[in-house]
Amino acid sequence: MLEPKMYESDTRPDWCPGCGDFGVLAALKDALIKSGKKPHEVVIVSGIGCSSNLPGYIRAYGFHGLHGRPVPVAVGIKTANPNLTVIATAGDGDEYGIGFNHVVHAARRNDDIKLIVMNNEIYGLTTGQLSPTSRLGQKTKTSPDGSIIYPLKPLPTILGAGGTFIARTFSGDPKHFSWVIQEALNHRGFALIDAISPCVTWHNIYDEVKKLFYKLEDRGYKPDDEHEAYKAMSDPEGIPIGIFYRREDKPSFQERLAEQNLGKWPVHNVSPLPKNTVEELLYEFS
Amino acid sequence: MKGCDFTVRIGAAAGDGIQSAGEMIMKVMSRSGLYVSTYNGNQSLIRGGHVWFHIHASSRRVYSLGYGIDFLIPLTQLAYDQHYENVNESGAIIYDPSVVKVHDLSQKVKKYEVPLAQIALKYDKRPIMKNTVALGALTAVLGIDFNVLAKSISDQFGRKEPSVAENNIKAAKDGYDTVVAEGGSLVDYDYDYASAKPVLTADYAIALGAVNAGCRFYAAYPMSPASPIVHWMTAHAKKLGLTVFLGEDEISVVNATIGASYAGARAMCATSGGGFSLMQEAIGQAAMTETPLVVVDVMRAGPSTGLPTKTSQGDLNMMLGISHDDFPRAIIAPRNPEESYNVAERAFNIAERYQLPVIILLDFAIGDGGYATVENINTEFSIDRGKLLTSADPELLNGTWFKRFVLTDDYISPRTIPGTEGMMFVAKTDEHDEWGHDLSDVLAGLKEYLPIRERMHEKRMKKLELLAKEMRPPELIGPSVADISIITWGSSANPVREALERLWNEGVSVNSFEFSDLYPINKEEVRKMLASTGKMVMVEANYSGQFEKLLKRELGIDMAAHIRKYNGEPFYPIEIEKGVVGIRKEVHALA
Repeated sequence: MLEPKMYESDTRPDWCPGCGDFGVLAALKDALIKSGKKPHEVVIVSGIGCSSNLPGYIRAYGFHGLHGRPVPVAVGIKTANPNLTVIATAGDGDEYGIGFNHVVHAARRNDDIKLIVMNNEIYGLTTGQLSPTSRLGQKTKTSPDGSIIYPLKPLPTILGAGGTFIARTFSGDPKHFSWVIQEALNHRGFALIDAISPCVTWHNIYDEVKKLFYKLEDRGYKPDDEHEAYKAMSDPEGIPIGIFYRREDKPSFQERLAEQNLGKWPVHNVSPLPKNTVEELLYEFS
Repeated sequence: MKGCDFTVRIGAAAGDGIQSAGEMIMKVMSRSGLYVSTYNGNQSLIRGGHVWFHIHASSRRVYSLGYGIDFLIPLTQLAYDQHYENVNESGAIIYDPSVVKVHDLSQKVKKYEVPLAQIALKYDKRPIMKNTVALGALTAVLGIDFNVLAKSISDQFGRKEPSVAENNIKAAKDGYDTVVAEGGSLVDYDYDYASAKPVLTADYAIALGAVNAGCRFYAAYPMSPASPIVHWMTAHAKKLGLTVFLGEDEISVVNATIGASYAGARAMCATSGGGFSLMQEAIGQAAMTETPLVVVDVMRAGPSTGLPTKTSQGDLNMMLGISHDDFPRAIIAPRNPEESYNVAERAFNIAERYQLPVIILLDFAIGDGGYATVENINTEFSIDRGKLLTSADPELLNGTWFKRFVLTDDYISPRTIPGTEGMMFVAKTDEHDEWGHDLSDVLAGLKEYLPIRERMHEKRMKKLELLAKEMRPPELIGPSVADISIITWGSSANPVREALERLWNEGVSVNSFEFSDLYPINKEEVRKMLASTGKMVMVEANYSGQFEKLLKRELGIDMAAHIRKYNGEPFYPIEIEKGVVGIRKEVHALA
C-alpha cells in the first residue's frame, strides 16, 4: 500500500520561505501516490537552479545533472528502460533557455517523459537576472531599465513542435497541480507542464497570478482542438490554467522504438552476441 | 601460393562511383585470399572534384598503404596528374586514351589502353559503368578469376534491379576480354580463393565490438568520419535488437547516453572532434556522477570544422583536458580495425568497474577511411559489470537513501540502477557526500564539510591509480635492443610497421613501441618497456607532438627526434623510412 511517507526524503528544501517550489514538491508527491507509482520505479531528473534541487527532496531515484540538460538525460533513461516513470523537473532557465532545443525535439519525438517547468520568469539562484520568460519592461539585475526583449511563449511553441500534452498549472493551487500531473502520468508520450511557481525574492507575482488565473475546465474547455488551444494559450486578459491540448492517438517515441528493437530494451539485454552471429557480421564487408 | 604484394589506386571525380569500385576491388582481393589495407582519399562533396581509393594487397599481413602505386587506374585527367608520379617502375596503368593523356610516364610502366567510356556506353546512355569496365581490366591484369569479380559486382548491386548487376558484369567482362586480347596478365600470382578473409573499418569494428560487449543503446548525431558507426547500428537494429537514438545535437546524444547508462544499460555514443567539443561538459558530469560512459571520437584534421574527410591524431590534448577541473578518464587508441573490435570488451568493463568515462580514439585513416583484414577476433566477450548491486544492502541504507558514493578502500562505490527496490539515490553532478546529498549550495565552505569535498574529489581521482595498473604497455615490434626506437600510437603504428621491414632489409638497427593505451599510463610497466630503447623517435600525426608531450609530462621521457605529419593524409611507410634514415645519419654524425 502506498503511503505519503514513502516519498519523504530526509533532506529539507533550502528554498526561500514562501517559494512556489514547495507547492510543486507537494503536488508531485501527491500525484505519484495517487497514481500508484512505487518510489523505486520513479526517476526524477533535474538540471541546475533552485527548482532543480527537487530530486533530493523526494524519495525516488534521481539524477541532478547539468544546466539545461535534464530532458536528454530523462529521454536516455526512459529509452533504456521504459518500465520506469521518468519525470524531468526544471526551471525556465533550464528548459526555455539553454536547453529549449531538447524540449522542442522531445515534443517532436513524443518521448514518453513528463516535464514540469517551474516557471518564475527570472533566474533565481543566480540572484535575479533576465530569463527567457521575463516580461517586456521587467526590471532585473541584467535589465535595470526594464527588459527590451520579448518573452518566449513556450506553450504555443511546443504545440507547434508537435507536443501531445500541454498544460499549465499554478503552485498556489496544489490540488489542481496534482491533478494535472496525474493526467500527464496517464498520457501516452511527452507532457509539458508549465508551472507558475513564483520567486518570492526576485520577482513576486503571487498576487497578480491569484487575481488573473482561471481554470479552463471550469469554462467547459475541451483540450482536443489545436486551433482552440492556440487561442486559449494567447488570452491577453487572464492566465488560464489546465490542459490546453491533449491527443492520445500518436504513439510515443519509445513505442515506435519497440518496433526497431523488437521490445528488447537495453537494460534487460546486456549480453554478448551468439558466436555465430559475430562471425556472420565479421564477413559482411568481405 | 606464390607470394605477392601490390597496390592499386583508382581515381576519378566524386560521383563516378569510386567508393563502390574501391570496395569491389577490396572484395576481389580478400576473396582471392589476400590480406588488404585500404584508404579512401575522398573529399567532402557529392559530385566533381577528385577522389581516389587505394588498396594494398598481399599474401602476407599488411598494415598500411604500402610503397607507391603498382596499378593506377585514372578515370580522369586530374586523377592521372595527381598520382602518376607515384607509379612504381614495375607498375602498370589502365586508362582510356580518349580521356587521359599519359605524360611524363616512365617507359617501364606497362600501359593498358582500354576504351572504358566506349564500352560503358554499350550498356547505358551515360558512361557510368566505366569504373566496372576498369575493374574487369584490372582483374585480367592481375590474373584473377573473372567469376570473383562478377560475384563482387552482384553483391555490390544486390539491392538494385537485377539488370544493374547484369549490365555491370557484362561491361566488366568486356574490359577483362580487352586486356586478355592485348596479351593478358602481367603478373604470375597464385590466389587462394577458398580462404576469403574478413575486412572491416575501425568504425564498423567498434560498432560490432560494442554490441558484442553488451551495448544495446547507441546514440549519435551524424558527423564525418564517425557516421559509419550509426549507419551500421541502424542497419542492424532490428536483427540485433538495438536501440538507436538519433539526437538533435551532440549535447543531447551524450546526455541521453549517460541517462541510459545510469538506468543500467551498456550505452555508447560516437562523434568526431567538433561534436566531442560539444560533449565535454556532459563527460565531466558522467565522471562526477560516477556513471560509466563509453565515447568514441573518430579524429579528423583541423580545429573548428577543419578537414572533414581527412585524418589526424590531433584530439589527444582535448581528451587529456576534457571539460573543467580534474576528473578521471581512460583513453585508448586502437591501432587498427581488429584492435578496435577487441578493445570494446575492455572499454565497457573498465567504464563499469571504475565508473568513469572511457574515450576510444580512432581517426579517419582507419575509421571511415580504411578497411583492413581482421584476424585474432575474440568472438566470446566476457562482461564485467563491476560493483553493481541488484538488491538492497542494509549497510548502505539509512531508511531513506542508498549510500551511493560510499568511500571504500578501492575508491569504488557499489552502484545500483533505478527499478531496484529500496536502493534510491540521487546521482549528483554537484559535489556531494557519500549519500549523494548536495554539498554545493548550503554546506560548501563550512569547516566540517571541507574534508568531505576533499575525500570525494580524491576518491574519484584515485581510481586512476588503480586503473593504471591494468593499462597496457606498448607492444614491441622487432628486436628488443636497437639503435633507434620508434615510439608511436594509434593508427600511425601501421605505416611504421611496414617501414620497419624495409629498414631491417637496409640493415638499420631499429624497433618500435606501439601504444594503444594512452591514459592513465601504467608507469611502472612503460618505464620497464622503454628502459632499453635506442634513440627514441616519436611518430604521430599532429603538429605539436601531443603524445610526446604526455610521455614527457608523465615519465620525464625525452625523444631524440620526432616525425610528425599534419597535412590531412596518413603517413606513408616511405616517409617513416626516409625520416629514420635521416635521423640515423644525424645520430652517426653526432657520434
